[in-house]
Amino acid sequence: MSSAVASHEIDNTRDDPTRRAQLILGGQDFHTVTEMVAGIPEQERINRNWWFAFTLAVSLAGMFGLNIAYLFWEGTGIWGNNNPVGWGWPIVNFVFWVGIGHAGTLISAILFLLRQQWRTSINRFAEAMTIFAVVCALVFPGIHIGRPWLPYWMFPLPNQMSMWPNFRSPLLWDVFAVGTYGTVSALFWYYGLIPDLATIRDRAKTKIRKFAYGVFSLGWTGSARHWHRYERTYLILAALCTPLVLSVHSVVSFDFATAQLPGWHTTIFPPYFVAGAIFSGFAMVVTLAVPARAFFGLQNLITLRHLENMNKIILATGMMVGYAYSMEFFIAWYGANEYEGFTFFNRAFGPYAWAYWIMVSCNVISPQLFWFKKIRTTPWMMVIVCIFVNIGMWFERFVITVTSLHRDFLPSSWGYFSPTIFDIMLFVGSFGLFFTLFLLFLRWLPVVAIAEVKAGMPAAHGHHEEHGHEAEGAATHG
Amino acid sequence: MSTASKTLDANDARLSPFEGGGKMIAVGFGLGAVGLGGAAALGAGAGDHFEGFLHSYLVAFAYFLAIALGGLFFVTLQHLTRAGWSVAVRRLAEVVAGTLPVLALLSLPIVIPTFLGNHALYHWADPAARQEDHLLHHKEAYLNNTFFLIRMVVFFGFWSLLARYFLKNSTKQDETGDPEITTKQQKLSAPAMILFALTLTYGAVDLLMSLVPHWFSTIIGVYYFAGAMMSAMATLIVLAKYLQGKGKLGDIVTVDHYHDLGKLMFAFTFFWAYIAFSQFMLIWYGNIPEDTIWYAPRQVGQWIPFSIALILVHFAIPFVGVMSRHAKRKTGILLFWAIWLLFAHWMDMFYVVKPTMIIEHGGEAGMLHLSLMDPLCWVGVLGFFIAAIGMGLKKHRLVPVKDPRLTESLAFENY
Amino acid sequence: MADHRPVDSVDPNNLPEYGLLAQYEDVTSLKQACEQVRDAGYSKWDAHSPFPVHGIDAAIGIRPTRLPLLIFGAGATGTTVAVLMQWWMNAFDYPFLISGKPLWSLPANIPVAFELTVLFAALTGIFATLGRNLLPRHHHPLFNNERFARATDDKFFIAIEAKDGRYDATRTRELLESTGAVAVDSVPDDSKINASLPKPLVYFIVASFLAGFVPLGIAARAWFTKSAEPRIHLNPNMDFQQKFKTQSPNPLFADGRSMRPDIDGTVAEGWLRQDDAYYRGLDADANWLVGFPQQVEVSQGTMARGQERFDIYCSPCHGTAGYGDGPVARRAAELKQAKWVTPSSLHQDYLRTQPEGKLFNTISHGIRNMPGYGHAIPESDRWAIVMYIRALQRSQLATTSDVPDSERAKLR
Repeated sequence: MSSAVASHEIDNTRDDPTRRAQLILGGQDFHTVTEMVAGIPEQERINRNWWFAFTLAVSLAGMFGLNIAYLFWEGTGIWGNNNPVGWGWPIVNFVFWVGIGHAGTLISAILFLLRQQWRTSINRFAEAMTIFAVVCALVFPGIHIGRPWLPYWMFPLPNQMSMWPNFRSPLLWDVFAVGTYGTVSALFWYYGLIPDLATIRDRAKTKIRKFAYGVFSLGWTGSARHWHRYERTYLILAALCTPLVLSVHSVVSFDFATAQLPGWHTTIFPPYFVAGAIFSGFAMVVTLAVPARAFFGLQNLITLRHLENMNKIILATGMMVGYAYSMEFFIAWYGANEYEGFTFFNRAFGPYAWAYWIMVSCNVISPQLFWFKKIRTTPWMMVIVCIFVNIGMWFERFVITVTSLHRDFLPSSWGYFSPTIFDIMLFVGSFGLFFTLFLLFLRWLPVVAIAEVKAGMPAAHGHHEEHGHEAEGAATHG
Repeated sequence: MSTASKTLDANDARLSPFEGGGKMIAVGFGLGAVGLGGAAALGAGAGDHFEGFLHSYLVAFAYFLAIALGGLFFVTLQHLTRAGWSVAVRRLAEVVAGTLPVLALLSLPIVIPTFLGNHALYHWADPAARQEDHLLHHKEAYLNNTFFLIRMVVFFGFWSLLARYFLKNSTKQDETGDPEITTKQQKLSAPAMILFALTLTYGAVDLLMSLVPHWFSTIIGVYYFAGAMMSAMATLIVLAKYLQGKGKLGDIVTVDHYHDLGKLMFAFTFFWAYIAFSQFMLIWYGNIPEDTIWYAPRQVGQWIPFSIALILVHFAIPFVGVMSRHAKRKTGILLFWAIWLLFAHWMDMFYVVKPTMIIEHGGEAGMLHLSLMDPLCWVGVLGFFIAAIGMGLKKHRLVPVKDPRLTESLAFENY
Repeated sequence: MADHRPVDSVDPNNLPEYGLLAQYEDVTSLKQACEQVRDAGYSKWDAHSPFPVHGIDAAIGIRPTRLPLLIFGAGATGTTVAVLMQWWMNAFDYPFLISGKPLWSLPANIPVAFELTVLFAALTGIFATLGRNLLPRHHHPLFNNERFARATDDKFFIAIEAKDGRYDATRTRELLESTGAVAVDSVPDDSKINASLPKPLVYFIVASFLAGFVPLGIAARAWFTKSAEPRIHLNPNMDFQQKFKTQSPNPLFADGRSMRPDIDGTVAEGWLRQDDAYYRGLDADANWLVGFPQQVEVSQGTMARGQERFDIYCSPCHGTAGYGDGPVARRAAELKQAKWVTPSSLHQDYLRTQPEGKLFNTISHGIRNMPGYGHAIPESDRWAIVMYIRALQRSQLATTSDVPDSERAKLR
């Protein structure tokens, strides 16, 4: 490192139009990147903190399992769902988790198409989070169906009633959308993992490791002919996943918007849900990335600039969500439909006003703090904002679901929804499942896409001497 | 990137202001005078109080306004994302956005009569109608003549100032080469983007949605935006090809830049379809009269083949056509699709505006109400649009020659 | 399964040669070396790198893959399959009408069609790439070279196979050394010895494959056979709940019914309704009431209320002017509904002479095809409607004397 770039070495969040900031810091070469990332799953024994977190997560996951067992035995009456609020926490939790699961594929697909090279440090991690979030999401409709041994009725399979599913129902579109999304995300993730698993295989010291990582790396040799097809398909998968990401939350929004219920039936729902999903997904990535990078010493790979970029996206999508809120309110008035108008007035000033204002302050006001560079680039501050965003996004789904339902068309059917202890335990328990999977991932798999980070380093383009010049800039957008 | 950086001479003749700009201005004014003059004469002769003329004019006006706003969004976005690849074509987008002051003038035939209470275009502009119609009465706080005028002045004023500001600073950098200017533009881009989103949305609400004042759709701003971005990308492709054909730009704008513009054009073709489908599907599924009044007349008579053609021309055919890498890297093919999509955008505006004549003004149901005034208005506004672009090209260098990220843009290669 | 068995466990002299492996330190020298090997005319060779090297395709001479075409085809297949499936299942094989939508609703089919397009294309893309790359692969001779472990870390390699027509152990080695390789190793081909999968693993794979057919077989058997057994109650707690359902017997009560009738001699609060005139439109002699009950105020306000209610409840059939030509009636006439009974015109002489009580009773209980509206319209509103009907009837036969003096002057 020459002294000229020293200031950029320390602070790569500085925005200088004449030169691109460095993506990874600390004067890394290919081997040190391998060491840094592959070193994590190669640790003989892991830190006590990991065990502590894992034990806690597994306990919560166990509580989740016990609650589900009790639910199956006793029936959905143990929830707070009532008449008129027939859709309570389970659908709120479902939409919440699916939303979280949008960031990973967004990072791996859309940012890939936009040539945002900085995504390489965080995509693996975010994709893993995506898959685990989708797993958590799928649990909720799964346990919601009343007779959980008959889920195959949702699929176009011959069944004992000799009937087919109703393809005019948005809930069935959900089965296809979330199913496809889960499948393709998982494959996309695994596809990206293959070369990195081969790296760990080739460094493995014990026979079991060699076998385990060997099986899953499929005999990858890094052949140029293989890379050629691999990259071409990766690009096409990214192009396929981009509309797929949009479609998933659009279809989820159709669950609501195709109904004629005031507050649900509005045309902006599809893009609005997608923006909200990306918003919450990125907030979750930041919330997890900040402690993980500190814990595993990855500050040079997942730099402040990566975090700052994500915070900027959070700010942008937060504005989009705010735009949708205001548009809904404007049209509720402009449309001159009394029921629509009442619903929105009731959201802001009715019995659920508390939830509504939590939503607005967490989703619209708290991300405004990211206008300040200091907050954008200070890890503990951004984690606080991101946690608020996640709280707000859960409440957004709660507000949409419950406030539109609790004021039925007939005032005699008005009601109020209160969760039961089982609602709460299931929601908290789903975090246990999520973190169990996530901690296992952190322990056993490469948390950063090693090959992709290397491909973005200056040396990968044959630039050895001219570190920090336009060389990596060409492949970098900040 | 592996290629050695090209170096640029700021006085390179290929980058100097476009000498043909004067001819563009002359031809543009000629077309504009003939087109709008002819259309106005036909409109006066139709004896319908300019109703037909104003609708044809609004189709053409909304069409070019979309392109200019798309250009403005593109410039703002490039600054916001600190993009490097696009520097070579950014000046063209700045010039396209620079037509906004001219479009502000061209909005007068719509804004002035509406302000004065002429309701040949907007039913709500009639104070009597606002008294009789319960829904219009409810909306009077927003849909009234004075507030409409105020909004139009604010929107066009903001767009014109923003476009001029970006262009002025960018051309200043051509002289000074000061990287601080880039920083300044970037700083402005974030708040500008927010105001742009709001003004574009309410502009679409006022100019297009309020044509059927009983109808409402929360997505209308995004819908107009999607078409705007697609047509702006198509315009940039056409413009760059035109200038290269005239011996300008040379190898500064490479096939990789076309490839990226093509990708964006393709993406927004798809995005338009996504937004249009979201709006249609939700209204079709809900099937509530207050929503379906907008679609119902579009599914009768001649509008049936037109609507189907819109899906095919605006989405299905170009989707397959522009999908492959090959189509985006052969600039001749890309030019064909750009022109195709510019036509599709006209169909879209026609589809949005024209059925108002049936819904609000008692026109015969099922008829397209296509008249000679439609092409004439289009040619007329096109003329002034070309003239405005000619003015920009004649005055400014065609590439921001001293932009600190220009070398990056020149070396840029797609994978 | 990169099983690195030590090379010295077999006799190296008996092994044929796989080829030569040359190692390079950086991308630039790798690419230059590739160009030289390509220009020397070799065909069975490859480069290995820890990440995709930009521009190496040209340096090796790899022609663009045609996988995109295959993926596009798979996507198009997905769309077709999805649309046909939805048409066949919902509109053809088991047609059922839902929410008034056409049996085959294309807009509603688009989400699933899109998802299956992506699913087919993505699965094809991933599996076709693996297939064309001949992966998964359990063994590769290059894995026996110790240097080669760095191929997934930070070193770059070129391997030329002995199978290549131009291969010559000495000259090929010279070529590779001249390209700046830091090391050139001969790699033995042990695939004859090591390439087969371990036996227990093979048994395991075959057994799992066969086991996969068991549930399918059971399902198929159930599909084609009939059973007299009642269905299995996986969760009896949910299927048999401890509660009494409507219309079911209940031993707790003497009459054995679950549903409880009102107690004799009681009336629910507010349901006594003794006033015949107001609630039933009868006078003291049980004839139809003429005029309005005393609770009903004959006023402009009541009249306006009556008009509003009339327009909501009556006009769909009777028309806003009461001629029996509301939209429902017109639609029925348009469809030539055989069983349709035309709504009465309220202006026929018979109806004009009926007492108010009779009209009230008709609104409450219906007549001919007209259903009763007593459940939907409270008494006060029913009387308001009657009042409005009277006004309507009078309006259609109005004379100049009905017009107030102030207005009469304006008439011609």
